[in-house]
Amino acid sequence: MAAWPKEPRLIGTKVPRLDGLAKASGKAKYPSDVRPEGTLFGVVLYSPHANATVKSIDTAAAEKMPGVKGIVVIAGQGKKLRFQGDDIAIVAAETEEQARDAVRAIKVDYEVLPHCVTESQSMDEKAPQVFDGGNVRKARAIVKGKPEEALEKADVVVEGTYSLPVITHVCLEPHGLTAQAEGSSKITAWASTQAVTVVAGELAGSFNISPADVTVLTEVMGGGFGSKFGADIWGRTAAELSKKCGGRPVKVFLDRAQEHLAAGNRPSATGHVKLGASKDGKLVAMIAETYGTGGVRGGSNFPLPYVYDLKNSSRAHAEVSVNAGGARAMRAPGHPQGCAIMEAALDDLAAKLGMDPVEIRVKNLAEVDNVRGGRQGETINRTPMYEAQLKLGAELIGWRDKYKPRGENGKGVVKRGLGVALHQWGGGGAADKQVSCTINPDGSVEIKSATQDIGTGARTILAMITAEVLGLKPTDIKSNIGNSTFPPGQSSGGSTTTPSMSPPCLAAATQARAAFFNKIAPALSTDAETLSLKDGQVWVNGEPTMSWKDACRKLGMASISETGKFADGLSSVGVGGCQFAEVEVDTETGVVRVKKIVAIQDSGLIIDKLTWESQVYGGVIGGLNYGLFEERVMDPTTGVMLNPDMELYKLAGASDIPEIIVRAYETEEMKNRGVIGVGEPPTIATAAAIANAVANAIGVRVPDWPMSPRNVLNALASKEGKA
Amino acid sequence: MKAFDYAAPTSVADALKLMEPPHTAALSGGTDLINRMKDYVSSPERVVYLKDIDALESIESSSKGVSIGAGATLAALLEHGEIKKTYPSLWKAAYEVATPQIRNMATVGGNLLQRPRCWYYRAGNGLLALKDGKSLVREGDNRFHAIFMTDGDALFVNPSSLAVPLIALGAKATILGPKGERTVPVAELYRVPKGSQERELTVQHGEILTKVVVPATHAKNASYEARHKQAHDWPLALASVALEMDGQKVGSARVVLGAVAPVPLRSEAAEKAIEGKALNHESATAAGDAAVKDAKPLSMNAYKVQLTKVAVKRALLAAVGDRYWEEG
Ligand SMILES: Cc1cc2nc3c(=O)[nH]c(=O)nc-3n(C[C@H](O)[C@H](O)[C@H](O)COP(=O)(O)OP(=O)(O)OC[C@H]3O[C@@H](n4cnc5c(N)ncnc54)[C@H](O)[C@@H]3O)c2cc1C
Repeated sequence: MAAWPKEPRLIGTKVPRLDGLAKASGKAKYPSDVRPEGTLFGVVLYSPHANATVKSIDTAAAEKMPGVKGIVVIAGQGKKLRFQGDDIAIVAAETEEQARDAVRAIKVDYEVLPHCVTESQSMDEKAPQVFDGGNVRKARAIVKGKPEEALEKADVVVEGTYSLPVITHVCLEPHGLTAQAEGSSKITAWASTQAVTVVAGELAGSFNISPADVTVLTEVMGGGFGSKFGADIWGRTAAELSKKCGGRPVKVFLDRAQEHLAAGNRPSATGHVKLGASKDGKLVAMIAETYGTGGVRGGSNFPLPYVYDLKNSSRAHAEVSVNAGGARAMRAPGHPQGCAIMEAALDDLAAKLGMDPVEIRVKNLAEVDNVRGGRQGETINRTPMYEAQLKLGAELIGWRDKYKPRGENGKGVVKRGLGVALHQWGGGGAADKQVSCTINPDGSVEIKSATQDIGTGARTILAMITAEVLGLKPTDIKSNIGNSTFPPGQSSGGSTTTPSMSPPCLAAATQARAAFFNKIAPALSTDAETLSLKDGQVWVNGEPTMSWKDACRKLGMASISETGKFADGLSSVGVGGCQFAEVEVDTETGVVRVKKIVAIQDSGLIIDKLTWESQVYGGVIGGLNYGLFEERVMDPTTGVMLNPDMELYKLAGASDIPEIIVRAYETEEMKNRGVIGVGEPPTIATAAAIANAVANAIGVRVPDWPMSPRNVLNALASKEGKA
Repeated sequence: MKAFDYAAPTSVADALKLMEPPHTAALSGGTDLINRMKDYVSSPERVVYLKDIDALESIESSSKGVSIGAGATLAALLEHGEIKKTYPSLWKAAYEVATPQIRNMATVGGNLLQRPRCWYYRAGNGLLALKDGKSLVREGDNRFHAIFMTDGDALFVNPSSLAVPLIALGAKATILGPKGERTVPVAELYRVPKGSQERELTVQHGEILTKVVVPATHAKNASYEARHKQAHDWPLALASVALEMDGQKVGSARVVLGAVAPVPLRSEAAEKAIEGKALNHESATAAGDAAVKDAKPLSMNAYKVQLTKVAVKRALLAAVGDRYWEEG
């Protein structure tokens, strides 16, 4: 039975990314850097209107512009355009500037229709319809127990409305790909994607060829966060244009504005919540009416109640359509919203009860909250995990010394506050992925799989596992991913890459080692069972006998190649975590500064401690942006986004980043569960913990995210009855 | 962007000849102009690059004050010892502009003459953002817009952080044009446009701003900027003060507000409130309150009234070394 080594040399240590230096020095070629000989540049014409019909479109003038080689119309006559940023056509030209000029020469006659771009516009009875059938789709409430009755009997009830805006992914590398068609039978694409396999499938589909005839390459890429799974219409059109242009490569990457408009977003969330508890702080019931918008795509639902044990609850969610870009999965879809609303209501309840926020959380964990253990059928109770994590986090933030009840945080204008929030996530692996491992006579080792590294460190992790088994250094391994023609690999979503890919990688390396031993044992005049590998040496009966390189020469002409498959017991699913925030709020200006974040996270067996920590840091920073800064601002009158940039769409700079303390909750029990993904969970609780710390500091809930001077001052003003 | 002619003269005289109105734009650091060109908000036919003109770059101090060339970068301004020592209001305002990278490129002239960041203007709706006779700003998202002079159509805010302390310090700008040279108080670089055809700048097409002279002063001066982020961000409200002290009391005061009106706004009410008073929390608070007496916020920016009050109060106290908000 496959098992992780009991005393690993590499697994669990900090190994720098194999491609870290290349990335940091600019040597790494991102898909958007790749320019094969003869590349044409594609630029997208997109709708300037939030709602319109194309009455006519005329590309004749554009076609005659200098450098123009091809135009594909996506939205022809009669087509509906449902949001600013909806695709109309793509022009391919010799230079990007020529393509941009030509896009402006396409004449489109629009019938501009009334729009709604905000939830309040859309929910108005007289609002124009985004789709036939109404703008607000209200699902029937999900009811557990008897919430109304229980709430009536509760000793304390809090009621509040909390809201979080739409935010966008802001991937540093925009969406897009460069496609090169070979006749109509083959395509190569350099794509910025988190799923080379999906992109290959989509390109194959639109050409009616086999995915095997499509090669999608993603050597490295600059962020996806859930928004880069497909080829998208831009990528498919790039391939079509390449075919049209005699096989010249066509590069289509979005610009920053289009990224905000058309490449996905995290839906908004508003929740009207009633939460009741008994005097001792035990929750008895929750009634929540929520809504959110995923633009023209939907998908705004989110988990609520969240984490805590509620015997009685009612939750009704309404999906509100607006004429704005469609939502896409974004780092732990739904969870940050559910977490923020749940944790805010719970904190308000604790404040009303005069109870310590950590204590009320411990009190309301389910007695049994089972998640999967290491093997099929085994379980682990998450409740004691949460308790241990809270204890550790409270110590690291200095809760006992620093925590003061809400509103009792000093007399100066700058108040300090502490907040806490809990989260959970899955992060399990898929069971059908493969890795191949090849040992060559020159001593080189190559592993291959059609997965990709979206920044989690997948490349390095697979090299570490292989090096662990073969007694080599991670840098000795050629870790070859980001190629759709390799053995089937996992798409990077749901924090599943490492748990999906580590087991087959371990299997491949282990099988290759066994085959290697069998091959070289005769040359060393011994039996395979006497052989082991360590420190770049082949050991016979515990004695270093021959260097790895020399031993490989004994393979003669033939390489060893083994393909590993998934095996049970090496990965698991279901994590918890908690985060604490310490903030300073200037009560005269409403400016919030986060001073410190403590993030405690379990995720089973950690392979690379360094990239693992980077994931948590990145998650926290993303969550801090959600908590303090980000907001897509739509103009109700013109229907356009007002801040499709990186200036008034606000994101933290270096000086906005606080001290961040990351701790893995990695007990023996956790390690025995095997690998679990960590990309998403550490971004969930940050915005919730920050908002709770702000409320703790200033003595009043700021119900609307982000915690901007405007929202904070408005909340303070309403406390003083000035609103 | 639209294709354009490009010239890079090395003397002011040559530059002036090349600056033929009306479709020519001066280019200094380009941190504002180039963005507008990319977004087709501005599409000049000729761009005249001024940064090869050494004469525009110098910063010179004398007993009369300091003369700052329009081509001096914000980074150079920050490195100038005399500015840091005598004009902390200017130094601080410049220090808080954008990022080190932008300050390395951006010039004093470009900063003073940059166009408003109003997101309706930058989205191509014109400076006043009027549509079918209605103001998009008034009807729409005006969280960053003006809270003063809001009865008119110009609801954007003047974007220049440097203009605010320069006006408080009584600085004068020198402009060179086809008709010769003129020198005006910095405040007079700006106006409230009366109609869609008018710019908010008084500098005419074809003219070049050559320098700004800040007079020598003993005034205690300081700036305070309220902003959302610590890293590069725009002020939500900015106040600069220059105070001629009369013993323990404020003799005469200049209080100027930024980011709250279509022009940098002198607050005579705040000046009056503080003149003749000893500077302390009470008098500074009163001056802050006086500063916003005439504020008329729009639908979403009442919070800026509070920020303006606080900015005035803090700038006043900072001028006498009281930075109480940093003590917690
Ligand atoms: C993220 C970000 C944050 C920012 N924050 C701030 C801030 O907080 N406060 C602030 O004040 N600014 C801020 N800025 C703006 C920045 O300071 C200005 O863009 C910069 O100062 C402009 O200088 P420049 O030399 O690059 O001007 P350019 O872009 O070269 O020119 C600006 C304008 O002035 C004209 N011009 C330039 N020089 C002359 C001259 N000598 N004579 C006549 N006309 C001339 C040009 O034709 C153009 O219209 C920010 C910018 C960014 C991107």
